[in-house]
Amino acid sequence: MMEDQEEKGNAENGIGRQKQVKDEYLLQFLDSLDGYLTLLDSLSSTLSQGWLELASARHAMGASRINGALLDLKVHAAATSLKVSEQDVDSMESQPCFTLCKWASSDNGERSSGEEKSLSPQLRHRNNSQLSGIISSPQRQKSLSVFGVLVSPKLRSAQLSFERALETLVEIANLHTTMLSMFEQVHKELENTNG
Amino acid sequence: MANRPQIRTAASALIAMIADEYASSVSRTMQQPYMFDHLLMQVHCWDTVVGFLLAGVGNVDLRRKTNYLIVDSKTTIKQIEDAFKEFTSREDIAIVLISQYVANRIRFLVDSHNKPIPAILEIPSKDHPYDPAQDSVLSRVKNLVSVESVASDRR
Repeated sequence: MMEDQEEKGNAENGIGRQKQVKDEYLLQFLDSLDGYLTLLDSLSSTLSQGWLELASARHAMGASRINGALLDLKVHAAATSLKVSEQDVDSMESQPCFTLCKWASSDNGERSSGEEKSLSPQLRHRNNSQLSGIISSPQRQKSLSVFGVLVSPKLRSAQLSFERALETLVEIANLHTTMLSMFEQVHKELENTNG
Repeated sequence: MANRPQIRTAASALIAMIADEYASSVSRTMQQPYMFDHLLMQVHCWDTVVGFLLAGVGNVDLRRKTNYLIVDSKTTIKQIEDAFKEFTSREDIAIVLISQYVANRIRFLVDSHNKPIPAILEIPSKDHPYDPAQDSVLSRVKNLVSVESVASDRR
């Protein structure tokens, strides 16, 4: 009888632990979903700002100086790229982790990570100071030089806005993979419960 | 640790873009002479792709292939599908940005992509703001929740 009670207790503990794990997956999924939607909202605002600054630049410099015909079709590598690494979720699963590498060159490179959320106030400060140091970045200047030597300050601002949009997109991509991973976990748990 | 799905890691991967840029907004705004609308008239072409190219993501390889496609009124569905298939099969692309409006035109293809890399991100465009209800991932979640609630009601 004692053994029966012990077995019953162990079974109840096991069920309790399973429920805790399910709740944890669900909470993580809901957190990542919330973060995903918040970042998409932020992205929309940043893109709107970028489009307006680009329109202002076109207005100042003329439509002939900012149009698609000037897109650089000469062979060149992307100055801003991504680093993809593997992040362990648990012993059976891993997911990709994206890190943005801005203006990477042999002379000077800047690193900005979609994961480094704790650095975001510093990144904002760095973005403000970058405006004053923008001339010193050769890759950034090269990107602007497609539209001529002397460009409107609005075009430089548009460039910064789209850089910010890229940072947000990398954060979104990381949350996207987390969300999908948690979604699969929750789905599996629900199927196990029903089955 | 056995049988873990392999994640394709990379030290340097690209971001591809499929964005829509329609000139239809021009005819509407040209009738209005005010400065603000004049500014709006100019916000109609190439801007999303140009903006990200300014941020340095543009890549042209030795075969003169770019990592972006600008969708206009002359672009066919097949061209969009071919570009999507090409970008999602290239080893050097880790994220594909696609305007949600364009994604809706090839929704079946976008929804059937289930690999972690490249990540497919649907972004707003100037004429078409982002709608969470149409997002591929979010609609999949919504379907799961509605199926589960029906199943639990039946039980």
